[in-house]
Amino acid sequence: MCGIAGRIRRGVGTVGRDLVDLMDAQEHRGADSTGFAVYGPPRDVGYVLRGIGFNKIQMDADLADFTNILRDHGSDLLSDPKIVQDANKHYCFRMEIKEPTDLAAWVADADELTDRIEIQSCGRSLEIIKDMGGSAEVAEKHGVHDMQGTHGLGHARLATESSVLPNASHPFWARPFSDVAIVHNGQITDYFTWRAKLERRGYRFLTENDSELIAVWVSDQIKAGLSMEQALRKSISSIDGVFTYMIANTDGVGFAKDRFAMKPLVVIDRDGDLAMATEEQAVRRVFSDECDVINYDGPSLTGLWGVNNRSLAA
Amino acid sequence: MSEYIVEVGKRHIKEINEEIQHAAAADKVIRVVNTLSRHNLGIGLPVGCKVSFEGSTGYYCGGLNVGATIDIERNAGWACGEGMSKGHITVGGYAGMSCGAAMMGGTIHVKGDAGPRVGVAMKGGNIVVEGKIGYQSGFMSHSGKIIALGGAGESCADALWEGEIWVVGEIDSLGVDAHAVEPTAEEVAEVDAILDPLGLVDTSREWRKLVSGQRLWYFESRDASAWLMI
Repeated sequence: MCGIAGRIRRGVGTVGRDLVDLMDAQEHRGADSTGFAVYGPPRDVGYVLRGIGFNKIQMDADLADFTNILRDHGSDLLSDPKIVQDANKHYCFRMEIKEPTDLAAWVADADELTDRIEIQSCGRSLEIIKDMGGSAEVAEKHGVHDMQGTHGLGHARLATESSVLPNASHPFWARPFSDVAIVHNGQITDYFTWRAKLERRGYRFLTENDSELIAVWVSDQIKAGLSMEQALRKSISSIDGVFTYMIANTDGVGFAKDRFAMKPLVVIDRDGDLAMATEEQAVRRVFSDECDVINYDGPSLTGLWGVNNRSLAA
Repeated sequence: MSEYIVEVGKRHIKEINEEIQHAAAADKVIRVVNTLSRHNLGIGLPVGCKVSFEGSTGYYCGGLNVGATIDIERNAGWACGEGMSKGHITVGGYAGMSCGAAMMGGTIHVKGDAGPRVGVAMKGGNIVVEGKIGYQSGFMSHSGKIIALGGAGESCADALWEGEIWVVGEIDSLGVDAHAVEPTAEEVAEVDAILDPLGLVDTSREWRKLVSGQRLWYFESRDASAWLMI
C-alpha cells in the first residue's frame, strides 16, 4: 500500500503546499519515505537538476567528480549547488546547469557514479524531492511548502518488495527524458522479466524498486515515439500486476490503472483546477467543500489532464 | 428522541466514534457533520441507533453494523458496511469498491453507482444499487442478493457461490461460471418485497438473475483432503 497524488493549478501557484497537504492526508498509507515532483515555471536556459549523494563525508570530492563529467559533456554549473543535509549519511543537492550536448549520453556517464551520487531529476521545469520520513518531515527539510508551480505529483511509500532507501523513494524520473516523472501505487508482478528485457536494450536500473520499472518502461516507449496517451494505454496490457500510476510532464498529468481494478484514484476537477489522490479525504484537503469527486474505480482505465486544459492526446 | 451533533473535521476518529456511541446509548438521533471523507466513521454501531453523515465518508463507514440505521448523504468510500450483520445503510451518492464486503445481513441501499466488487464474499443480506454495479461485482458471494437497477460492469458474478445478482439493464460481461436464469414470478415478488420499503418497485422491469453455473471445482463432491497437499 502506498499513496499517490497529483495536482494541477490554473496558472503558477502554491503547488508545493498543495502536494504536501495531499500527502499529509495519506501518510498512513506509508511513511517510509515521501516524495514530490514539482513543475515550476519553465526555464529558458539550462536545466535544474536534483540529486542525492550517499556519503556526505566525501561530498566535496563526489560533487567535483560529478561536475567534471558534466563539463565533459559541454555543460557546467550556472550557480553554486544548494546542499540539504541533516544527521543522515546521505545529502541532497540542487544544481542549475547549462544544457549538456547530449542529455542521454551525459546521464549514462553520470550514472557511472551511481554508488556515490544519483540524479533524481533533470528538467526545465521538473524538480523531484524525495527523502525518508513522512510528508511534513520531508517538506520541512526541503522547503517544499514554498515551491511554486503549475502542477506536480506526490507519493507516500510503504516499502514492500525493496529496501527503505532515499533513492528508492518515489517519484522516479523517466531518465534520460527531461521533465518526465512517475509515481506508483501497486505491485508489478513481471518486474524481473521486464527488467531483463529493458537491460538487454541498454537501460540501467539504479534501484530494485518495481516502480522504477514503470519509469524505465515509459522511457522506452517515449524513445519508440509513443505519446503519453499511447504509452499509458499500452502499459495496461504490457505490464502485469495491480497498479495505479501517474505520469507527468511539462504539459500535464496522466494515469493508468491495471486490469483488475485493485488500486483507487479519486479526482476533483473544477474546470482544469484539479486534485487527484488515492483517497477522497486527501483531495478534500485541497477542495474542502462538498464538491463532486470522480472515482476511477474501474479496470483498465487511463486519463490525461493538461495544464490550463491543454490537450495531451497528440 | 433529541438530536445530537458530532463534528468530524480533523479530530481523532476514535474520539469521534466514542462520541457517537455515547450519544447512541443516550438514545439521541445523531447528525455527524463536516465529515471530509474521513475513514472508519460509525463502526460497530448498535441496534436502534440512527446516524446521518452529512457529506461524504471514507473507507469502512458503517462497518460491522449490528442494527443501526445509517444515512450517508453523499459518497461512501471503500468497503461501506463491510461485515455488517443487521441494520440499514443508505448511500446518497456513489459507493466505492467492495461495498457490503462479507456482510451477513441487513440492507445497503446505494442511490448512485457502486464501484468494483459490490458484495464481495457476502454471506447474507441485500445490497440495492439504483445505478450501475462495477467490475467483478458479487465475486465469491456466498449468499444474499445484489440488486442493480442500472446495469453491471465487466466480469459480473465471477466465481459466485450461492449468492444471487439481479440486474436490470446492460451487463458489460459475465464472469467465470456466471449463469443467467429466468426468474420465477415468486422470485421477482421476493425482490420487489426488498425494493418496496425503498420506494423502488416497478413491475415493468425486465430482470436478469445471475447465479453460479456450479462448474467450479468447489461445487464438486471431491475429497477435500486431496486438495490439502499434506
